[in-house]
Amino acid sequence: MRWGAWIRGLATALAFAVILCPILVVVLAAFSPTDYFVFPPPSLSLRWFAEFFRLDNMRNAFLLSLELALSSACIAATLGTFAALHLARRKGWVAAVLQALFLAPLVFPTIILGLALLLLYKSVGMPPLPGLILAHCVVGMPYCFRTVLGSVQSLDPALEEAGQSLGAGPLRTLFLVTLPLVWPGVLSGWLFAFIVSFGELNTALFLTGPGVTTLPIEIFSYLQFQGSQLVIAAASTLQIALIILMVAGIERVVGLGRIIRSR
Amino acid sequence: MRRTLWAAALLGPPLAVSLVLFVGPLVYLFHVSLHEASQSELYGPGPTLANYAAILADPFYLTIIKRTLGTAAWILGLALLVGYPVAYFVALLPPRRRALVTLALLFPLMVSNVVRAYGWVAILGRRGVINTSLRDLGVIDAPLDLLFNQEAVVVGLLTILLPYMVISIANTLAALDRRYEEAAQALGAGPLRTFLHVTLPLSTPGVASGLLLVFLLTLSAYVTITLLGGPRSKLLVSLIFDSVVSFQWPLAAALAFTLLAIALALTGLILLVLRPQRVQGRG
Repeated sequence: MRWGAWIRGLATALAFAVILCPILVVVLAAFSPTDYFVFPPPSLSLRWFAEFFRLDNMRNAFLLSLELALSSACIAATLGTFAALHLARRKGWVAAVLQALFLAPLVFPTIILGLALLLLYKSVGMPPLPGLILAHCVVGMPYCFRTVLGSVQSLDPALEEAGQSLGAGPLRTLFLVTLPLVWPGVLSGWLFAFIVSFGELNTALFLTGPGVTTLPIEIFSYLQFQGSQLVIAAASTLQIALIILMVAGIERVVGLGRIIRSR
Repeated sequence: MRRTLWAAALLGPPLAVSLVLFVGPLVYLFHVSLHEASQSELYGPGPTLANYAAILADPFYLTIIKRTLGTAAWILGLALLVGYPVAYFVALLPPRRRALVTLALLFPLMVSNVVRAYGWVAILGRRGVINTSLRDLGVIDAPLDLLFNQEAVVVGLLTILLPYMVISIANTLAALDRRYEEAAQALGAGPLRTFLHVTLPLSTPGVASGLLLVFLLTLSAYVTITLLGGPRSKLLVSLIFDSVVSFQWPLAAALAFTLLAIALALTGLILLVLRPQRVQGRG
Protein backbone atom coordinates (compact mmCIF):
# COMPACT_ATOMS: atom_id res chain seq x y z
CA MET A 1 0.00 0.00 0.00
CA ARG A 2 3.07 2.29 -0.09
CA TRP A 3 2.30 3.50 -3.60
CA GLY A 4 -1.35 3.94 -2.58
CA ALA A 5 -0.19 6.59 -0.12
CA TRP A 6 1.97 8.17 -2.85
CA ILE A 7 -0.99 8.43 -5.24
CA ARG A 8 -3.16 10.00 -2.52
CA GLY A 9 -0.49 12.54 -1.55
CA LEU A 10 0.28 13.44 -5.15
CA ALA A 11 -3.40 13.80 -6.11
CA THR A 12 -4.02 16.02 -3.07
CA ALA A 13 -1.08 18.29 -3.89
CA LEU A 14 -2.21 18.54 -7.51
CA ALA A 15 -5.84 19.18 -6.57
CA PHE A 16 -5.02 21.96 -4.12
CA ALA A 17 -2.66 23.54 -6.67
CA VAL A 18 -5.28 23.70 -9.43
CA ILE A 19 -8.07 24.73 -7.05
CA LEU A 20 -6.18 27.53 -5.30
CA CYS A 21 -3.84 28.84 -8.04
CA PRO A 22 -6.51 30.79 -9.98
CA ILE A 23 -7.60 32.54 -6.78
CA LEU A 24 -4.00 33.38 -5.80
CA VAL A 25 -3.26 34.73 -9.28
CA VAL A 26 -6.28 37.06 -9.07
CA VAL A 27 -5.21 38.39 -5.66
CA LEU A 28 -1.64 38.90 -6.87
CA ALA A 29 -2.85 40.68 -10.01
CA ALA A 30 -4.96 43.06 -7.91
CA PHE A 31 -1.80 44.48 -6.28
CA SER A 32 -0.04 45.08 -9.62
CA PRO A 33 1.44 48.52 -10.24
CA THR A 34 1.39 47.96 -14.03
CA ASP A 35 -1.37 48.46 -16.63
CA TYR A 36 -1.40 44.75 -17.43
CA PHE A 37 -0.66 41.82 -15.22
CA VAL A 38 3.03 40.90 -15.35
CA PHE A 39 4.12 37.73 -13.64
CA PRO A 40 5.90 38.05 -11.29
CA PRO A 41 4.85 41.66 -10.54
CA PRO A 42 7.81 44.10 -10.25
CA SER A 43 6.35 45.68 -7.09
CA LEU A 44 3.06 45.95 -5.21
CA SER A 45 0.60 48.84 -5.24
CA LEU A 46 -2.94 49.71 -4.24
CA ARG A 47 -3.54 51.57 -7.50
CA TRP A 48 -6.33 49.27 -8.74
CA PHE A 49 -8.21 49.38 -5.44
CA ALA A 50 -8.23 53.18 -5.65
CA GLU A 51 -9.47 52.85 -9.23
CA PHE A 52 -12.21 50.47 -8.07
CA PHE A 53 -13.63 52.97 -5.56
CA ARG A 54 -13.27 55.81 -8.10
CA LEU A 55 -15.50 54.03 -10.66
CA ASP A 56 -19.19 54.67 -9.93
CA ASN A 57 -20.46 51.48 -11.55
CA MET A 58 -18.04 49.27 -9.59
CA ARG A 59 -18.73 50.97 -6.27
CA ASN A 60 -22.48 50.85 -6.82
CA ALA A 61 -22.39 47.19 -7.82
CA PHE A 62 -20.41 46.40 -4.67
CA LEU A 63 -22.89 48.25 -2.46
CA LEU A 64 -25.87 46.69 -4.20
CA SER A 65 -24.42 43.20 -3.77
CA LEU A 66 -23.86 43.91 -0.09
CA GLU A 67 -27.41 45.22 0.38
CA LEU A 68 -28.83 42.29 -1.58
CA ALA A 69 -26.85 39.68 0.35
CA LEU A 70 -27.77 41.20 3.72
CA SER A 71 -31.50 41.48 3.04
CA SER A 72 -31.93 38.17 1.22
CA ALA A 73 -29.91 36.28 3.87
CA CYS A 74 -32.05 37.73 6.66
CA ILE A 75 -35.30 36.75 4.93
CA ALA A 76 -33.91 33.34 3.94
CA ALA A 77 -32.72 32.65 7.50
CA THR A 78 -36.13 33.56 8.94
CA LEU A 79 -38.07 31.44 6.45
CA GLY A 80 -35.61 28.55 6.63
CA THR A 81 -35.84 28.57 10.43
CA PHE A 82 -39.65 28.55 10.27
CA ALA A 83 -39.65 25.58 7.90
CA ALA A 84 -37.07 23.69 9.96
CA LEU A 85 -38.94 24.27 13.25
CA HIS A 86 -42.11 22.98 11.63
CA LEU A 87 -40.55 19.88 10.04
CA ALA A 88 -37.89 18.88 12.59
CA ARG A 89 -40.13 16.59 14.62
CA ARG A 90 -42.52 15.45 11.91
CA LYS A 91 -42.53 12.13 10.06
CA GLY A 92 -44.55 10.63 7.21
CA TRP A 93 -44.81 11.31 3.52
CA VAL A 94 -46.12 14.89 3.78
CA ALA A 95 -43.08 15.88 5.83
CA ALA A 96 -40.80 14.05 3.37
CA VAL A 97 -42.32 15.87 0.39
CA LEU A 98 -42.06 19.23 2.13
CA GLN A 99 -38.44 18.59 3.08
CA ALA A 100 -37.59 17.64 -0.52
CA LEU A 101 -39.34 20.81 -1.72
CA PHE A 102 -37.38 23.04 0.68
CA LEU A 103 -34.06 21.43 -0.26
CA ALA A 104 -34.72 21.25 -4.01
CA PRO A 105 -33.17 24.63 -4.99
CA LEU A 106 -29.79 23.30 -3.76
CA VAL A 107 -29.45 20.93 -6.70
CA PHE A 108 -31.85 22.53 -9.18
CA PRO A 109 -30.10 24.18 -12.18
CA THR A 110 -30.35 27.80 -11.04
CA ILE A 111 -30.12 29.13 -14.57
CA ILE A 112 -33.58 27.64 -15.24
CA LEU A 113 -34.89 29.18 -12.01
CA GLY A 114 -33.49 32.54 -13.17
CA LEU A 115 -35.26 32.27 -16.51
CA ALA A 116 -38.54 31.16 -14.89
CA LEU A 117 -38.44 34.08 -12.44
CA LEU A 118 -37.61 36.51 -15.25
CA LEU A 119 -40.74 35.45 -17.15
CA LEU A 120 -42.88 35.62 -14.00
CA TYR A 121 -41.51 39.07 -13.10
CA LYS A 122 -42.10 40.29 -16.66
CA SER A 123 -45.72 39.22 -16.61
CA VAL A 124 -46.48 40.80 -13.22
CA GLY A 125 -44.25 43.87 -13.65
CA MET A 126 -41.90 43.28 -10.71
CA PRO A 127 -39.24 45.99 -10.16
CA PRO A 128 -35.63 44.69 -10.39
CA LEU A 129 -34.32 45.06 -6.82
CA PRO A 130 -37.15 43.31 -4.91
CA GLY A 131 -37.14 40.69 -7.66
CA LEU A 132 -33.44 40.02 -7.07
CA ILE A 133 -33.89 39.89 -3.30
CA LEU A 134 -36.69 37.33 -3.61
CA ALA A 135 -34.70 35.24 -6.11
CA HIS A 136 -31.73 35.12 -3.74
CA CYS A 137 -34.09 34.18 -0.90
CA VAL A 138 -35.17 31.11 -2.84
CA VAL A 139 -31.52 30.22 -3.54
CA GLY A 140 -30.38 30.83 0.06
CA MET A 141 -33.30 29.33 1.97
CA PRO A 142 -32.25 25.65 1.59
CA TYR A 143 -28.89 26.36 3.29
CA CYS A 144 -30.63 27.92 6.30
CA PHE A 145 -33.28 25.19 6.36
CA ARG A 146 -30.63 22.47 6.40
CA THR A 147 -28.47 23.96 9.16
CA VAL A 148 -31.41 24.78 11.45
CA LEU A 149 -33.00 21.38 10.81
CA GLY A 150 -29.77 19.72 11.95
CA SER A 151 -29.64 21.92 15.06
CA VAL A 152 -33.27 21.28 16.07
CA GLN A 153 -33.00 17.54 15.46
CA SER A 154 -29.95 17.26 17.71
CA LEU A 155 -31.86 19.09 20.44
CA ASP A 156 -33.32 17.09 23.34
CA PRO A 157 -37.15 17.33 22.91
CA ALA A 158 -37.45 17.09 26.71
CA LEU A 159 -36.19 20.68 26.95
CA GLU A 160 -39.09 22.05 24.89
CA GLU A 161 -41.57 19.79 26.67
CA ALA A 162 -40.26 21.05 30.01
CA GLY A 163 -40.88 24.62 28.89
CA GLN A 164 -44.41 23.79 27.79
CA SER A 165 -45.26 21.75 30.89
CA LEU A 166 -44.17 24.71 33.01
CA GLY A 167 -46.89 26.71 31.32
CA ALA A 168 -45.07 28.49 28.48
CA GLY A 169 -47.06 28.74 25.24
CA PRO A 170 -45.48 27.75 21.92
CA LEU A 171 -44.27 31.30 21.24
CA ARG A 172 -42.60 31.66 24.65
CA THR A 173 -41.07 28.18 24.36
CA LEU A 174 -39.69 29.17 20.95
CA PHE A 175 -38.07 32.39 22.15
CA LEU A 176 -36.97 31.26 25.61
CA VAL A 177 -35.95 27.63 24.95
CA THR A 178 -35.61 26.59 21.30
CA LEU A 179 -34.08 29.66 19.64
CA PRO A 180 -31.35 30.24 22.27
CA LEU A 181 -30.30 26.62 21.72
CA VAL A 182 -30.40 26.53 17.89
CA TRP A 183 -29.16 30.04 17.10
CA PRO A 184 -25.65 28.86 16.08
CA GLY A 185 -27.41 26.86 13.34
CA VAL A 186 -29.45 29.89 12.33
CA LEU A 187 -26.30 32.03 12.22
CA SER A 188 -24.29 29.62 10.07
CA GLY A 189 -27.27 29.20 7.75
CA TRP A 190 -27.46 32.99 7.47
CA LEU A 191 -23.73 33.09 6.68
CA PHE A 192 -24.13 30.60 3.85
CA ALA A 193 -27.13 32.43 2.43
CA PHE A 194 -25.11 35.67 2.54
CA ILE A 195 -22.08 34.15 0.82
CA VAL A 196 -24.16 32.38 -1.83
CA SER A 197 -26.04 35.59 -2.63
CA PHE A 198 -22.84 37.66 -2.69
CA GLY A 199 -21.29 35.47 -5.39
CA GLU A 200 -24.45 34.34 -7.18
CA LEU A 201 -24.41 34.49 -10.99
CA ASN A 202 -27.13 32.37 -12.55
CA THR A 203 -30.31 34.11 -11.43
CA ALA A 204 -28.62 37.53 -11.30
CA LEU A 205 -27.64 37.06 -14.95
CA PHE A 206 -31.29 37.34 -15.95
CA LEU A 207 -32.63 39.62 -13.24
CA THR A 208 -30.09 42.47 -13.24
CA GLY A 209 -30.52 45.36 -15.60
CA PRO A 210 -29.20 48.84 -16.31
CA GLY A 211 -28.52 50.57 -12.99
CA VAL A 212 -29.23 47.46 -10.93
CA THR A 213 -26.16 45.24 -11.23
CA THR A 214 -24.45 42.98 -8.72
CA LEU A 215 -20.68 42.82 -8.33
CA PRO A 216 -20.25 39.35 -9.90
CA ILE A 217 -22.31 40.39 -12.93
CA GLU A 218 -20.35 43.66 -13.22
CA ILE A 219 -17.10 41.66 -13.15
CA PHE A 220 -18.51 39.32 -15.80
CA SER A 221 -19.57 42.09 -18.17
CA TYR A 222 -16.20 43.84 -17.76
CA LEU A 223 -14.43 40.60 -18.67
CA GLN A 224 -16.72 40.05 -21.64
CA PHE A 225 -16.78 43.51 -23.15
CA GLN A 226 -13.79 45.50 -21.87
CA GLY A 227 -11.06 42.87 -21.62
CA SER A 228 -9.24 41.98 -18.45
CA GLN A 229 -8.45 45.32 -16.87
CA LEU A 230 -6.90 44.90 -13.48
CA VAL A 231 -9.68 46.81 -11.74
CA ILE A 232 -11.66 43.55 -11.89
CA ALA A 233 -8.82 41.80 -10.08
CA ALA A 234 -9.25 44.40 -7.33
CA ALA A 235 -13.02 43.86 -7.35
CA SER A 236 -12.50 40.10 -7.11
CA THR A 237 -10.02 40.51 -4.27
CA LEU A 238 -12.51 42.63 -2.34
CA GLN A 239 -15.06 39.86 -2.87
CA ILE A 240 -12.64 37.30 -1.45
CA ALA A 241 -11.63 39.58 1.44
CA LEU A 242 -15.24 40.11 2.49
CA ILE A 243 -15.88 36.35 2.51
CA ILE A 244 -12.79 35.69 4.65
CA LEU A 245 -13.89 38.41 7.05
CA MET A 246 -17.41 37.00 7.36
CA VAL A 247 -16.27 33.41 7.84
CA ALA A 248 -13.68 34.47 10.42
CA GLY A 249 -16.27 36.53 12.28
CA ILE A 250 -18.85 33.76 12.40
CA GLU A 251 -16.15 31.22 13.28
CA ARG A 252 -15.36 33.25 16.41
CA VAL A 253 -19.02 33.09 17.39
CA VAL A 254 -20.14 29.56 16.50
CA GLY A 255 -16.92 27.61 15.94
CA LEU A 256 -15.20 26.02 12.96
CA GLY A 257 -16.87 22.62 13.21
CA ARG A 258 -20.34 24.04 12.74
CA ILE A 259 -19.42 25.96 9.60
CA ILE A 260 -17.98 22.80 8.06
CA ARG A 261 -20.92 20.62 9.02
CA SER A 262 -23.43 23.13 7.71
CA ARG A 263 -22.00 23.18 4.19
CA MET B 1 -56.47 23.97 17.87
CA ARG B 2 -53.78 26.34 19.07
CA ARG B 3 -51.12 23.83 18.08
CA THR B 4 -52.47 23.50 14.51
CA LEU B 5 -52.59 27.28 14.21
CA TRP B 6 -49.01 27.48 15.44
CA ALA B 7 -47.87 24.77 12.98
CA ALA B 8 -49.60 26.59 10.11
CA ALA B 9 -48.01 29.90 11.10
CA LEU B 10 -44.54 28.30 10.93
CA LEU B 11 -45.08 26.41 7.69
CA GLY B 12 -47.12 29.06 5.87
CA PRO B 13 -44.48 31.68 4.94
CA PRO B 14 -41.71 29.33 3.71
CA LEU B 15 -44.24 27.16 1.86
CA ALA B 16 -45.78 30.21 0.20
CA VAL B 17 -42.34 31.42 -0.94
CA SER B 18 -41.45 27.97 -2.30
CA LEU B 19 -44.73 27.65 -4.19
CA VAL B 20 -44.93 31.19 -5.55
CA LEU B 21 -41.24 31.73 -6.36
CA PHE B 22 -40.01 28.21 -7.17
CA VAL B 23 -42.75 25.78 -8.21
CA GLY B 24 -45.05 28.40 -9.73
CA PRO B 25 -42.47 30.02 -12.03
CA LEU B 26 -41.35 26.60 -13.28
CA VAL B 27 -44.93 25.61 -14.12
CA TYR B 28 -45.33 28.95 -15.90
CA LEU B 29 -42.06 28.42 -17.77
CA PHE B 30 -43.32 25.01 -18.95
CA HIS B 31 -46.57 26.65 -20.02
CA VAL B 32 -44.61 29.23 -22.07
CA SER B 33 -42.54 26.46 -23.69
CA LEU B 34 -45.76 25.01 -25.13
CA HIS B 35 -46.60 28.16 -27.11
CA GLU B 36 -45.53 29.77 -30.35
CA ALA B 37 -43.33 32.84 -30.39
CA SER B 38 -44.93 36.26 -30.56
CA GLN B 39 -43.63 39.64 -31.68
CA SER B 40 -45.31 41.75 -29.00
CA GLU B 41 -46.23 39.38 -26.16
CA LEU B 42 -44.20 36.93 -24.08
CA TYR B 43 -45.73 34.09 -26.06
CA GLY B 44 -48.18 33.48 -28.91
CA PRO B 45 -50.94 30.92 -29.53
CA GLY B 46 -50.74 27.35 -28.29
CA PRO B 47 -50.54 24.72 -27.01
CA THR B 48 -47.99 23.25 -29.38
CA LEU B 49 -44.95 21.02 -29.21
CA ALA B 50 -43.36 22.92 -32.12
CA ASN B 51 -40.51 24.35 -29.98
CA TYR B 52 -39.42 20.93 -28.77
CA ALA B 53 -39.81 19.44 -32.26
CA ALA B 54 -37.66 22.24 -33.67
CA ILE B 55 -34.90 21.58 -31.12
CA LEU B 56 -34.86 17.83 -31.74
CA ALA B 57 -34.93 18.22 -35.54
CA ASP B 58 -32.15 20.81 -35.76
CA PRO B 59 -28.65 19.34 -36.25
CA PHE B 60 -27.15 22.50 -34.69
CA TYR B 61 -28.94 21.92 -31.39
CA LEU B 62 -28.14 18.22 -31.45
CA THR B 63 -24.44 18.99 -31.96
CA ILE B 64 -24.52 21.33 -28.96
CA ILE B 65 -26.34 18.75 -26.82
CA LYS B 66 -23.73 16.15 -27.77
CA ARG B 67 -20.94 18.60 -26.95
CA THR B 68 -22.58 19.37 -23.60
CA LEU B 69 -22.73 15.67 -22.73
CA GLY B 70 -19.15 15.11 -23.93
CA THR B 71 -17.81 18.01 -21.86
CA ALA B 72 -19.76 16.82 -18.82
CA ALA B 73 -18.41 13.28 -19.27
CA TRP B 74 -14.81 14.59 -19.30
CA ILE B 75 -15.40 16.71 -16.22
CA LEU B 76 -17.10 13.88 -14.31
CA GLY B 77 -14.44 11.33 -15.24
CA LEU B 78 -11.54 13.58 -14.30
CA ALA B 79 -13.24 14.81 -11.12
CA LEU B 80 -13.72 11.22 -9.99
CA LEU B 81 -10.19 10.20 -10.98
CA VAL B 82 -8.55 13.09 -9.11
CA GLY B 83 -11.18 13.55 -6.42
CA TYR B 84 -11.28 9.99 -5.11
CA PRO B 85 -7.63 9.73 -3.99
CA VAL B 86 -7.85 13.24 -2.50
CA ALA B 87 -10.99 12.24 -0.59
CA TYR B 88 -9.21 9.14 0.65
CA PHE B 89 -6.29 11.28 1.83
CA VAL B 90 -8.67 13.67 3.62
CA ALA B 91 -10.68 10.84 5.22
CA LEU B 92 -7.55 9.27 6.74
CA LEU B 93 -6.49 12.51 8.49
CA PRO B 94 -7.07 12.91 12.24
CA PRO B 95 -10.34 14.83 12.94
CA ARG B 96 -8.81 18.23 13.76
CA ARG B 97 -6.66 18.32 10.64
CA ARG B 98 -9.50 16.92 8.55
CA ALA B 99 -11.64 19.88 9.64
CA LEU B 100 -8.94 22.33 8.53
CA VAL B 101 -8.45 20.66 5.14
CA THR B 102 -12.24 20.59 4.65
CA LEU B 103 -12.33 24.32 5.34
CA ALA B 104 -9.56 24.80 2.75
CA LEU B 105 -11.80 22.94 0.28
CA LEU B 106 -14.93 24.86 1.27
CA PHE B 107 -13.33 28.28 1.02
CA PRO B 108 -12.90 28.19 -2.80
CA LEU B 109 -16.57 27.22 -3.11
CA MET B 110 -17.50 30.45 -1.34
CA VAL B 111 -15.61 32.59 -3.86
CA SER B 112 -17.80 33.58 -6.80
CA ASN B 113 -17.36 31.40 -9.89
CA VAL B 114 -16.75 34.50 -12.00
CA VAL B 115 -13.67 35.27 -9.88
CA ARG B 116 -12.36 31.73 -10.20
CA ALA B 117 -12.98 31.69 -13.97
CA TYR B 118 -11.20 35.06 -14.20
CA GLY B 119 -8.24 33.42 -12.43
CA TRP B 120 -8.03 30.91 -15.27
CA VAL B 121 -8.30 33.71 -17.85
CA ALA B 122 -5.35 35.40 -16.12
CA ILE B 123 -3.38 32.14 -16.26
CA LEU B 124 -4.31 30.87 -19.76
CA GLY B 125 -4.95 34.13 -21.65
CA ARG B 126 -2.69 35.52 -24.41
CA ARG B 127 -1.15 37.86 -21.85
CA GLY B 128 -1.56 35.29 -19.08
CA VAL B 129 0.93 33.78 -16.66
CA ILE B 130 1.77 30.75 -18.83
CA ASN B 131 2.29 32.66 -22.06
CA THR B 132 4.39 35.45 -20.55
CA SER B 133 6.50 32.97 -18.57
CA LEU B 134 7.17 30.82 -21.64
CA ARG B 135 8.04 33.91 -23.69
CA ASP B 136 10.42 35.22 -21.04
CA LEU B 137 12.11 31.84 -20.97
CA GLY B 138 12.44 32.00 -24.77
CA VAL B 139 10.42 28.83 -25.38
CA ILE B 140 7.85 30.50 -27.63
CA ASP B 141 7.78 33.60 -29.85
CA ALA B 142 4.05 34.08 -30.30
CA PRO B 143 1.52 33.49 -27.51
CA LEU B 144 -0.24 30.12 -27.50
CA ASP B 145 -4.02 29.97 -27.81
CA LEU B 146 -4.85 28.25 -24.55
CA LEU B 147 -8.19 29.93 -23.97
CA PHE B 148 -11.53 29.70 -25.79
CA ASN B 149 -11.62 25.97 -26.43
CA GLN B 150 -13.29 22.95 -24.91
CA GLU B 151 -10.16 21.96 -22.95
CA ALA B 152 -10.16 25.31 -21.14
CA VAL B 153 -13.83 24.80 -20.20
CA VAL B 154 -13.08 21.30 -18.89
CA VAL B 155 -10.06 22.45 -16.86
CA GLY B 156 -11.88 25.49 -15.48
CA LEU B 157 -15.07 23.70 -14.47
CA LEU B 158 -13.16 20.69 -13.17
CA THR B 159 -11.14 22.81 -10.75
CA ILE B 160 -14.15 24.91 -9.77
CA LEU B 161 -16.31 21.85 -8.96
CA LEU B 162 -13.68 19.41 -7.69
CA PRO B 163 -14.17 20.35 -3.99
CA TYR B 164 -17.79 19.13 -4.16
CA MET B 165 -16.62 15.71 -5.34
CA VAL B 166 -13.86 15.51 -2.72
CA ILE B 167 -16.09 16.55 0.18
CA SER B 168 -18.91 14.17 -0.83
CA ILE B 169 -16.63 11.13 -1.07
CA ALA B 170 -14.54 12.09 1.98
CA ASN B 171 -17.67 12.30 4.14
CA THR B 172 -18.67 8.74 3.23
CA LEU B 173 -15.14 7.38 3.58
CA ALA B 174 -14.65 9.00 6.98
CA ALA B 175 -17.92 7.53 8.26
CA LEU B 176 -16.97 4.07 6.99
CA ASP B 177 -16.45 1.35 9.60
CA ARG B 178 -12.74 0.41 9.38
CA ARG B 179 -13.53 -3.09 10.63
CA TYR B 180 -14.82 -4.08 7.16
CA GLU B 181 -11.39 -3.42 5.66
CA GLU B 182 -9.64 -5.13 8.54
CA ALA B 183 -11.89 -8.16 8.11
CA ALA B 184 -11.08 -8.36 4.37
CA GLN B 185 -7.36 -8.17 5.08
CA ALA B 186 -7.58 -10.71 7.88
CA LEU B 187 -9.25 -13.06 5.39
CA GLY B 188 -6.24 -12.71 3.10
CA ALA B 189 -7.21 -9.98 0.61
CA GLY B 190 -4.35 -7.72 -0.49
CA PRO B 191 -4.65 -3.89 -0.30
CA LEU B 192 -5.85 -3.59 -3.91
CA ARG B 193 -8.49 -6.31 -3.55
CA THR B 194 -9.67 -4.83 -0.27
CA PHE B 195 -10.04 -1.46 -1.97
CA LEU B 196 -11.85 -2.78 -5.05
CA HIS B 197 -14.20 -5.18 -3.27
CA VAL B 198 -14.80 -3.47 0.09
CA THR B 199 -13.90 0.23 0.26
CA LEU B 200 -14.99 1.27 -3.24
CA PRO B 201 -18.46 -0.36 -3.13
CA LEU B 202 -19.09 1.01 0.36
CA SER B 203 -18.28 4.53 -0.81
CA THR B 204 -20.81 4.57 -3.67
CA PRO B 205 -23.22 6.94 -1.84
CA GLY B 206 -20.49 9.59 -1.72
CA VAL B 207 -19.44 8.92 -5.31
CA ALA B 208 -23.06 9.19 -6.50
CA SER B 209 -23.77 12.46 -4.70
CA GLY B 210 -20.43 13.90 -5.85
CA LEU B 211 -21.14 12.97 -9.49
CA LEU B 212 -24.67 14.38 -9.30
CA LEU B 213 -23.56 17.69 -7.77
CA VAL B 214 -20.75 18.17 -10.29
CA PHE B 215 -22.99 17.20 -13.21
CA LEU B 216 -25.89 19.47 -12.26
CA LEU B 217 -23.59 22.42 -11.60
CA THR B 218 -21.77 21.83 -14.90
CA LEU B 219 -25.06 22.07 -16.81
CA SER B 220 -25.88 25.58 -15.58
CA ALA B 221 -22.37 27.11 -15.38
CA TYR B 222 -23.06 29.73 -18.05
CA VAL B 223 -20.52 32.32 -16.92
CA THR B 224 -17.57 29.92 -16.66
CA ILE B 225 -18.40 28.35 -20.03
CA THR B 226 -18.65 31.75 -21.69
CA LEU B 227 -15.43 33.18 -20.21
CA LEU B 228 -13.27 30.10 -20.88
CA GLY B 229 -14.97 28.63 -23.95
CA GLY B 230 -15.69 31.77 -25.92
CA PRO B 231 -18.18 31.86 -28.79
CA ARG B 232 -16.97 28.63 -30.43
CA SER B 233 -17.34 26.29 -27.44
CA LYS B 234 -20.95 27.00 -26.55
CA LEU B 235 -22.93 24.48 -24.53
CA LEU B 236 -26.68 24.01 -24.09
CA VAL B 237 -26.88 26.61 -21.33
CA SER B 238 -25.32 29.24 -23.65
CA LEU B 239 -28.15 28.66 -26.13
CA ILE B 240 -30.73 29.33 -23.41
CA PHE B 241 -29.04 32.63 -22.66
CA ASP B 242 -28.72 33.52 -26.37
CA SER B 243 -32.43 32.95 -26.99
CA VAL B 244 -33.29 35.12 -23.97
CA VAL B 245 -31.09 37.92 -25.32
CA SER B 246 -32.94 37.69 -28.65
CA PHE B 247 -36.34 37.67 -26.83
CA GLN B 248 -37.35 34.21 -28.11
CA TRP B 249 -39.09 33.35 -24.85
CA PRO B 250 -40.89 30.11 -25.84
CA LEU B 251 -37.70 28.74 -27.43
CA ALA B 252 -35.67 29.66 -24.33
CA ALA B 253 -38.29 27.92 -22.16
CA ALA B 254 -38.23 24.78 -24.32
CA LEU B 255 -34.42 24.72 -24.22
CA ALA B 256 -34.54 25.07 -20.44
CA PHE B 257 -36.80 22.05 -20.15
CA THR B 258 -34.60 20.12 -22.59
CA LEU B 259 -31.71 20.85 -20.22
CA LEU B 260 -33.84 19.75 -17.27
CA ALA B 261 -34.83 16.52 -19.05
CA ILE B 262 -31.16 15.74 -19.69
CA ALA B 263 -30.37 16.51 -16.04
CA LEU B 264 -33.13 14.16 -14.83
CA ALA B 265 -32.23 11.39 -17.28
CA LEU B 266 -28.58 11.40 -16.24
CA THR B 267 -29.45 11.65 -12.56
CA GLY B 268 -31.56 8.52 -13.01
CA LEU B 269 -28.76 6.80 -14.94
CA ILE B 270 -26.12 7.59 -12.28
CA LEU B 271 -28.39 6.34 -9.49
CA LEU B 272 -29.29 3.22 -11.49
CA VAL B 273 -25.69 2.30 -12.24
CA LEU B 274 -24.22 3.06 -8.80
CA ARG B 275 -27.27 2.05 -6.73
CA PRO B 276 -26.11 4.03 -3.65
CA GLN B 277 -29.15 2.83 -1.66
CA ARG B 278 -27.51 -0.64 -1.47
CA VAL B 279 -25.14 0.69 1.17
CA GLN B 280 -26.74 0.61 4.60
CA GLY B 281 -26.34 3.36 7.15
CA ARG B 282 -24.85 5.93 4.76
CA GLY B 283 -22.95 8.75 6.39
